[in-house]
Amino acid sequence: MSKALIIDDEQQMRRLLCMVLESRGYEVCEAADGQLGLQEAAFHRPDVVLLDLGLPGMNGIEVLKRLREWSDVPVLILSVRDQEAIKVEALENGADDYVTKPFGTAELLARLTVIQRRRFTRQSAEIVVGALKLDLLHHEALLDDAPIKLTPTEFALLKVLAEYAGRIVTQNQIIKQVWAGQTSDPSEGLRVHINHLRKKLGETGPRIVNEPGIGYRLEEA
Amino acid sequence: MTDAESPTAHPSSTPVSLAEVGQYSCGLTLVFVLASTCWVLLPYTGDLFVALVFLMAIVLAGTWWNRGPVLMMAVVSALVWNYFFIPPQFTLHIDKPQDMVMFSLFFIVALSMGHLITRLRAREATLAQHHQERENLLELKHRAELLAESERLHRTLLDSVAHELKTPIAIIRTALDGLGQGNPYAHEIETANRRLQRIVESFLEMSRVESEVLEPQPDWCEIGDVVHAATKPIQQELAAYTLRIAGATELPLLRLDLRLLAQVLGNLLHNATRYAPAGTEIQIQASLFDGSLELRVRDHGPGLPLGAEEQLFEKFYRAPDSPAGGTGLGLAIARGLMRAMKGDIEAHTHPEGGAEFVLHLPVKTRSAA
Repeated sequence: MSKALIIDDEQQMRRLLCMVLESRGYEVCEAADGQLGLQEAAFHRPDVVLLDLGLPGMNGIEVLKRLREWSDVPVLILSVRDQEAIKVEALENGADDYVTKPFGTAELLARLTVIQRRRFTRQSAEIVVGALKLDLLHHEALLDDAPIKLTPTEFALLKVLAEYAGRIVTQNQIIKQVWAGQTSDPSEGLRVHINHLRKKLGETGPRIVNEPGIGYRLEEA
Repeated sequence: MTDAESPTAHPSSTPVSLAEVGQYSCGLTLVFVLASTCWVLLPYTGDLFVALVFLMAIVLAGTWWNRGPVLMMAVVSALVWNYFFIPPQFTLHIDKPQDMVMFSLFFIVALSMGHLITRLRAREATLAQHHQERENLLELKHRAELLAESERLHRTLLDSVAHELKTPIAIIRTALDGLGQGNPYAHEIETANRRLQRIVESFLEMSRVESEVLEPQPDWCEIGDVVHAATKPIQQELAAYTLRIAGATELPLLRLDLRLLAQVLGNLLHNATRYAPAGTEIQIQASLFDGSLELRVRDHGPGLPLGAEEQLFEKFYRAPDSPAGGTGLGLAIARGLMRAMKGDIEAHTHPEGGAEFVLHLPVKTRSAA
């Protein structure tokens, strides 16, 4: 059974999330502010943390930074719309994904499942996302078992997206891993390559979904 | 003093003005009046007194007038003094060597006095001008600080109001999900909750557009991403319609603020779902016209009320016999956002029926091929 920690200052929201998660077999603990949240996290060692960004006192980003000093527990951010900059900051400080309030429970549970799948526990040299298979050993991409031609940059880009499949990757995270600060306008290059990749993945491959102001998410078709 | 108005700063560079002509004539008159008075008083005073009177007049004139008239006064008074007062009178010739020295000294002192005083005044005027400029700059800075402060306050207020309004809506949403799908009452609450969410978001967006805290942040993007971002929040409303998108895949990468444009497009699409009968088609057509993106959104509803093509974009405008619900803000926000991005939006009834909205947006392009 997974243990979840909810850090949110809205009591009603906590209660609801509690009910939703418990009905899915989670064991739930909760905290009303950041300080308590960190204590709870240290005490209960949760398997996943749901963190509201708009906390009173110590804000969500600060909580996240402190948490990341000693724990790599998956963290899902709960946020409201129009906070893109803060969401990006949270993601680049170690948050795993986010949902925007008001969210559906189906969306919430799907995100939780994805981020709980351990990051980077790759045992084989293959990544499979739906109909797409990446062979890291031979630098080959197969779509429905048919090879597709990718440039080295496109392969590197698709590899990053596939490693994070189902999870959001911020624009900066992609650029850091694929370009490592080589190009003058990485954002432009990124868009161009995404455009090419989308055409090559076609209708049957996974979709590269843009999340405005934040980054990309590779979703199974 | 009248420094500020008189063109003293660069008297040599400006042509002789009307005011200067007046000063020349006044100077001449003054020399004449003084000379006549001194002429009467000469038997009691002696010719040196006359020289001092002239010098005083030059100094006084220098504090008010431009350099030209003052120097003219210096020259004329020196000549007048020589001609009428230095013996032998009525000739420019001077007999005694000490008178010669006196005359030369007078001439030099008069000229330099006139010159120095007018220069001093010019400098003063420049200083005053610099001072004024500094004051203006300070004033501007102060105003900018005030504006930034009020913007910050506005933003904070907006954020906290947004949070307070959105939290209950989010809670209702999550609670409804917990109730499950089958319940018809829950379905009604959900519809109302979505409507409430739209209203709250419209008011917040309108407030943001009006306070001009809105700054477009253009980045490269595909138009397909704009359409995706626009349609995602209104999937449920759009489900009853056929959405046809033309021209989007042929467009190159465009540099624009994806979120703002998606918001505009989303408002237009939502509008279409409110007026056009379910089951009809909504068309989006994207094209480029010399550096400008053109997006057309057409529905197959009743079209626009005649003559209201402009009124539509006014805040709180509601078309006659439009369906209940809606704030009358959607199109006002759309126009506000388009203008914030240096573009615009217009509307007309399509010749073959249905409303058509046309967005124009100047964009940088880059071929994606």
